[in-house]
Amino acid sequence: MIQLHNVCMSYQRDATALSGISAKISKGEFVFLTGVSGAGKSTLLKLLYGALKPTRGQVVIDGVNITKLPPSQLPALRRKIGVVFQDFKLLPSRTVLENVAITLEVLGWGKKDINKRVYHILKQVGLEHKINSTPIRLSGGEQQRVAMARALVNDPKLILADEPTGNLDEESKERVFAILKEANVRGSTVVVATHDRRLIENSHKRFIVLDKGHVTEDSDAS
Amino acid sequence: MPREKAAKRPKLAREGVTGRLHYFVERAFINIRQNVLVNVLSIVTIALAFLILSLFLLVYVNLERVTASWSDRVQITAYFDRELSSGEVTDLTGKIRAIHGTLDVGYISREEAFRRFYGRLKGQESLLEGVSPEILPSSIEIRLKRDSRDSQSVATYVTRLRQFPEIKEVQYGEEWVKRFDDFMNLIRFAGALVGGFIVLAVIFIVANTIKLTIYSRKDELELMGLVGATRMFIKAPFLIEGMIQGVAGVALALLVLTGAYMAFLHNADIFSGIGIMESGLVFLPLSHLAALLFGGAALGFMGSLASLKKFIAL
Ligand SMILES: Nc1ncnc2c1ncn2[C@@H]1O[C@H](COP(=O)(O)OP(=O)(O)O)[C@@H](O)[C@H]1O
Ligand SMILES: [Mg+2]
Repeated sequence: MIQLHNVCMSYQRDATALSGISAKISKGEFVFLTGVSGAGKSTLLKLLYGALKPTRGQVVIDGVNITKLPPSQLPALRRKIGVVFQDFKLLPSRTVLENVAITLEVLGWGKKDINKRVYHILKQVGLEHKINSTPIRLSGGEQQRVAMARALVNDPKLILADEPTGNLDEESKERVFAILKEANVRGSTVVVATHDRRLIENSHKRFIVLDKGHVTEDSDAS
Repeated sequence: MPREKAAKRPKLAREGVTGRLHYFVERAFINIRQNVLVNVLSIVTIALAFLILSLFLLVYVNLERVTASWSDRVQITAYFDRELSSGEVTDLTGKIRAIHGTLDVGYISREEAFRRFYGRLKGQESLLEGVSPEILPSSIEIRLKRDSRDSQSVATYVTRLRQFPEIKEVQYGEEWVKRFDDFMNLIRFAGALVGGFIVLAVIFIVANTIKLTIYSRKDELELMGLVGATRMFIKAPFLIEGMIQGVAGVALALLVLTGAYMAFLHNADIFSGIGIMESGLVFLPLSHLAALLFGGAALGFMGSLASLKKFIAL
């Protein structure tokens, strides 16, 4: 699903965020990406959904080398990927329904199908009763779950989640993690960036540790 | 990767061009509803800008109408080398009428000329006692169409008149025509200059207003790109929204202008003092109204397009 070949990324000339990352993540895997703050987790995720281009190396997603992708092909890539952003990126002037529906509107779905599908996914994340609220009136944990619903609603092949449990209480964390595991069971490949070691230890999933832009540990050293 | 969900393919709405267009228009209206305040502010700003422009146009159109009416004085008089028979006169006036630019042609007989002359003497009629009409020549008076009253056209016209062998002399207020021509050119130049500045200001104001409405939604633009929307898909509703704002702004401006016109501008009384108009102001012709509306739509579209360029560089 994901292949990284000697990927390097620097924002400025002297500041290197990632250096020489090579890794392989297979279809259907659930992988944690971990490391202290500033290790390069978010940067790596951004490379995967094409928000950044690596300064060196190759990134292959689902058989497509996205380092050579023309801008016109970017939408097609992103439709295969559901991203849960660290800052959620929910639109405050739109309802929960409309926020989640965006993913499907972009795909050209009809209104009826969208409403049905959005209701279904909101029920999965336990927010169907908030369908007509605006994000501002939701708690942090609820906003997080709306962001997840938006990423999961079209059953993407690949799910990327950036600190999805950050700033959440224990109960919300459990809930978020459970939703991601469910999506994984349904067939999505899942990559979760987190600095939360406890979450990883309890999960018994594969994890890749980043430190100062290098891979220092991979629990599945294959 | 076998996916259970893939089997249940949802029916795609918006097949074909009209379906898509329908979706984009619907989306634009939803966007306006979700951002009422920004849109109202933007429409009011556009309306103010266009109100200034349409007021200027109203003044200009009326100024041109009044000054153009002064050119009614342009008249050409042709004198003959001898008295013509009535058959010859009919023949000649027919030929003159066929010349491009002729509005009407009138034959002034000796008697008619004498009567006019007599009328002008007022109180000193006794001077003409015993004088017969024979001392005055008969003539033909020609008025030209409005678009043929500039000095160039008049000169060309007179040259053609002189080619008739029956015509000995042609008189027209050459000096006056030239001065009037210069004056009209001055008015047109000043109008174009002031109008040009106003149009530039309007473009600047509208473009920046629309930029603000788009800027206030840059998060939305970014997100659309991140969930895989094509550029076309992101842009289209904003372009339509810009056009709606432009048309709504112009419509509002024209509504205010019409109101002001109905309330007092059409009334001749306030102008009779300056003595330039007998009939009050005329309203903008339909063609100008249509052009303003079209201009609003185009400006809204272009303003959105230019602003979007800055934000959609994904
Ligand atoms: N937009 C940016 N411009 C410059 N430097 C950045 C930018 N984003 C991140 N960095 C730097 O890149 C490094 C990795 O950041 P990041 O990927 O956000 O780490 P993490 O998500 O693991 O906390 C940090 O040193 C950070 O300061
Ligand atoms: Mg981060």
